[in-house]
Amino acid sequence: MNNQSLSSLLALVPLLPLVGAVATVLLGRRLGRAAHIPAVAGIAAAAVVAVVLLGVTARDVGGTHGPVETISTLWQWATVEGAAADAPGADAAATRGLSIPVAVRLDPLTATLLTIITCVGLLVAIYSTGYMHGDPGYPRFFALVAMFVFSMSMLVMASNFLLVYVFWEAVGACSYLLIGFWFTKPEAAKAAKKAFLVNRVGDFGLAVATFLIWMSFGTLDFHDTLSAQGVIVPGVLGQTRLADPGGYVLPDAAGFSGAAVGTAICLLLLLAACGKSAQLPLHVWLPDAMEGPTPASALIHAATMVTAGIYLVARTAPLFVAHPGALTLVSIVGATTALVAALIGTVQNDLKRVLAYSTISQLGYMFASLGTGTLLGFTAAIFHLLTHACFKALLFLGAGSVMHSMGGVIDMRRFGGLRRVMPITAATFLVGAAALAGVAPFAGFFSKDEILAALHAKGWPDAHGTHADHDDATPTDGRAAAGRPLRFAALREPADDALALVTPRADGRERGVPLDAIDTPATWRLLFWMSLVTAGLTAFYTFRAVFMTFTGPTRLPEGAGHGHGHDDDAHADAHAHSDHGGGHGQHHGHGDHGHGSLESPPAMTLPLVVLAVASAGIGWLLFATNWLGHFLAATPSLTAAAVARTAVPHVFHWDLAIQGTLAAVVGIVVAAIGHLGRRSDGPQMERFLGPLGTLFAEKFYVDQLYAWCVVRPLELLAAVAAIFDRTVIDGTVDAVGGIPGAIGEVLRRSQSGLLQRYALAGVLGVLSIVVLLAWQLRG
Amino acid sequence: MNPAPLASGGLLAGAIVATAASLWMLLPNGRESVSTRRLGMLLGAAAMLAFVAAGRRLGGFGEEAVFLVVSLVAVVSAAATIVSRSPVYAAIWFALSLTGVAGVLLVLGAQFLGVATIVVYAGAILVMFLFVLMLAQPAGLAPYDRVSNEPFLAALAGAVLLGVLSLSIGRLSAGVPACCAAPARADAAAAGTADPPPADPPPAALAADPLAENHVARLGAELFGRHLVAVEAAGVLLLVALIGAIAVVSRGEEALAAEADAARAAAGRTAR
Amino acid sequence: MNAASLPLLQNALTVGAILFSLGLVGILTRRNLIVMFLAAEMMLQGISVSLVAWSRYHGDFGGHVLVIFVLTVAACEAAVALVFVLQAFSRTGRLDAAAWQSLREATVGRTIDRELPAIDTVPPRFPTLTPAGVQPATDADDSLEREHV
Repeated sequence: MNNQSLSSLLALVPLLPLVGAVATVLLGRRLGRAAHIPAVAGIAAAAVVAVVLLGVTARDVGGTHGPVETISTLWQWATVEGAAADAPGADAAATRGLSIPVAVRLDPLTATLLTIITCVGLLVAIYSTGYMHGDPGYPRFFALVAMFVFSMSMLVMASNFLLVYVFWEAVGACSYLLIGFWFTKPEAAKAAKKAFLVNRVGDFGLAVATFLIWMSFGTLDFHDTLSAQGVIVPGVLGQTRLADPGGYVLPDAAGFSGAAVGTAICLLLLLAACGKSAQLPLHVWLPDAMEGPTPASALIHAATMVTAGIYLVARTAPLFVAHPGALTLVSIVGATTALVAALIGTVQNDLKRVLAYSTISQLGYMFASLGTGTLLGFTAAIFHLLTHACFKALLFLGAGSVMHSMGGVIDMRRFGGLRRVMPITAATFLVGAAALAGVAPFAGFFSKDEILAALHAKGWPDAHGTHADHDDATPTDGRAAAGRPLRFAALREPADDALALVTPRADGRERGVPLDAIDTPATWRLLFWMSLVTAGLTAFYTFRAVFMTFTGPTRLPEGAGHGHGHDDDAHADAHAHSDHGGGHGQHHGHGDHGHGSLESPPAMTLPLVVLAVASAGIGWLLFATNWLGHFLAATPSLTAAAVARTAVPHVFHWDLAIQGTLAAVVGIVVAAIGHLGRRSDGPQMERFLGPLGTLFAEKFYVDQLYAWCVVRPLELLAAVAAIFDRTVIDGTVDAVGGIPGAIGEVLRRSQSGLLQRYALAGVLGVLSIVVLLAWQLRG
Repeated sequence: MNPAPLASGGLLAGAIVATAASLWMLLPNGRESVSTRRLGMLLGAAAMLAFVAAGRRLGGFGEEAVFLVVSLVAVVSAAATIVSRSPVYAAIWFALSLTGVAGVLLVLGAQFLGVATIVVYAGAILVMFLFVLMLAQPAGLAPYDRVSNEPFLAALAGAVLLGVLSLSIGRLSAGVPACCAAPARADAAAAGTADPPPADPPPAALAADPLAENHVARLGAELFGRHLVAVEAAGVLLLVALIGAIAVVSRGEEALAAEADAARAAAGRTAR
Repeated sequence: MNAASLPLLQNALTVGAILFSLGLVGILTRRNLIVMFLAAEMMLQGISVSLVAWSRYHGDFGGHVLVIFVLTVAACEAAVALVFVLQAFSRTGRLDAAAWQSLREATVGRTIDRELPAIDTVPPRFPTLTPAGVQPATDADDSLEREHV
């Protein structure tokens, strides 16, 4: 395939959903019940193209040896001449000015994410045709979903930091619109606002990081570009800089050491990622985001948008690797978030909330893996992203199916034993839960195992495995090492100089920032144990949810089977359709599925099945062939010397597998003891845990902390500003407005009605003119 | 004989300021302070003296004396007219002022007009004013006669006006527009000096009045010759004024009578 | 001729200017309608003097003619004006220019004179005459008689 057609295909991926979105906006009302067609068609076509592109990239990876990327500049958005003249890190070639090309790229990381986005998007769109059926905002939903797919595709395809920022904001906006889809409900509106505002904090981080990157690197492009003088301008993640061993050693600028600036950039990028991917302390928006329609939650808050943070860190891997303090902090944040979210998830009674906290927890896992800074860590994170997309979307869609059938009720204490009335949903949900819990051989098991391996490698750098199968040559080429077929061996020692991730200064002094001190094996061991505990907790709360929902005596809430109660995220005493009563029995609005069956329509169950198959098989498939690791190792960002050096042969770590499975089994057993076969409204975890349970249920009081530290002061400031506005500003304006009146009041007194006063005024006026004339004519 | 221009100018300015100050003090202001009035009169007298001193010298003592007397009478009476409290006294003072003005006019050679002023103004118009006062003026001093309206500003206005006029008068030169200049005097007129060239104008200046001979006849000829239409129009104007005055009065009387009738009718109805 | 009569002109014009200014002050200041008219007539006198002075200076009758017309118009004006003064008097009962304030702004209050101290009017002392004849009977109309002006 030549470059021209490849560029066209690249442009098609975002363009088709965009066309679908616009068509839905324009024609949605007229299409009525068929309003989903443009959006679904657009996303489906984009999915096809994405898969084609995946194939093309895979072929390129197989064909060539080095990094694989294709850049296609669609058009030049803006150029500011001479803007880079003062940038401290800029060289002469960059003094051409600030240039923002709308450039899209295709490399293995992008291709993988595009496939996930479009395929999961397609499944969610198909599912939504059943779920959102009958909703008055039906066309709007599909327009938003298509718009989201467009924004997210462009985000992962953008080859320029400013463009990334634009689409970062765009996905935030789509998220806001989708969370607040039923905006007439006050909780939904508040949740949307909260999501947007918390994301804004992250966006601020990304903006400032962009500024610093501009200042340090002199360009905002990922790829190498050609200046007007014909000189190569090395992009931030371009091949020139990646090949240069000191490429990410930033010069000292403005009184700050280069390492400090670099660490600042990394921390700001981490802040952005935390905002978008709901990590501590910016995780507060994701549970509330469950107010939105469940398909939106599945797409955005499980599979795609929240992975933007992971993508960002993976993309800027070389930069992070050059600043080990920031890198370790990534892992610390991730692992801590994973643990905290898992603890909170154990006491949730709302099925969607359980899944929300589970998402936060799994994203924490991905960050923990990214923060190891090794090739294994990065690829494990992306692998987990892929599997997580499959099983989390599956779980959310399954929860949506349950909610749809239960008439809008999603509080697990109000229903139970649903496997008898919703068999397909139950089966697929079980598959997803097993994948999430890390039960072999489902998808989550393999990806979680790789993450634990990455953490273990950092915590025990000299570990030898019990099996004596060592490889002969120390791998120096990440791709070559990663391309070897699967070996069943214990953990291997990584390359010796893989730990020397930072180039020391020429004068021999250690360069770095004090934060780098946290990068010690002790830290990594702690993180490893935290992750292991979290794995156990994950299994526990997942299967607790499964048992509460699908096992035990079959109980249905009032209004079950009436299907369309979307706007009721049930609280303990909310009655969605109390007027329906019990007289309607089990009648389902979509046609008869048999007496007693509340299964969702095929439009909804089909995507569930597809995702279940994926969750079951994809992990084993990718792990056995190591296709994904080999594929991703060709991403330019991951071919940086510092990252590629850390490649290890692809092995299956028995010891870690056993530890992980043990943790999962313990969790499942404890859940079974508490909930298997019992009524779901029995004694709850909160009460069982006592004060700890209250702590978890109150989400560690983070929301309250924010309310006291952020919201109250801002409200106070707003009140002060309001008073200032009313008294000073309005006062000034009113005073200015009152001036003519005041002048008029004064002048009006001259209109006394007294004839002689009028005459006097006239005479004085005439005399003034006369005097003036006499003065002029005196010469 | 003639004072230097600058001194004359300063004197004139002083005279005008004194006039204004004296008017301000003399105008009725409700306070009835005798000392203020006396001071005002003193200032007024000083002002008159200053005007006299600043004035131009006429040829001959006789002419000067006559002109001085009549003009002083006119001016002082005029001042007294406007400052006196009682409107009747004001009217009497006005009559005196008219006499003075008639004298000035006679000095200026306007024989007919001087007499006409007395006859028409003092004889007819002034008497009409007195009739109205008789009808409408309350006994004693009405409150509105004892106060004046913005005396300071009015005196200032008067002073400014007088100053401007005096300035313009003072800058008059002997230069005459070509239309009115006698041919023999053309070159002298072209020269144009600010001051009259001879220090002592010939004594025959006043007697050399070109209008003195056959004055009334020539005036009549001029009036009915060149301005006949205007005369006729003036006559019509008089007639119209007469008719208008009667009409307004009669309508006013009718209105009053109608009001009285209505009042009587209403009273009669209520009595019934 | 002209040079000689310039001083006379200037003096006469000055007199005219003074009369005119006095008349102006009078109109602006005095509140009695009749006195206001007197002052107006005085302004016209000043004008007359000025016109005649110019006429004398130029040796022309133009000024005289104008003064005659001024005289005529003054007479008409006086007649009509006094009718109006009487009408005004009949409505308000006084000859006060400040009695008519209806043209003032709605928010401005009526200008009322401040209280003036009472004048001790000394009643005139008429000479006492030996009574001769019968004292005529006085009727109500006699109450209109003023004791002093």
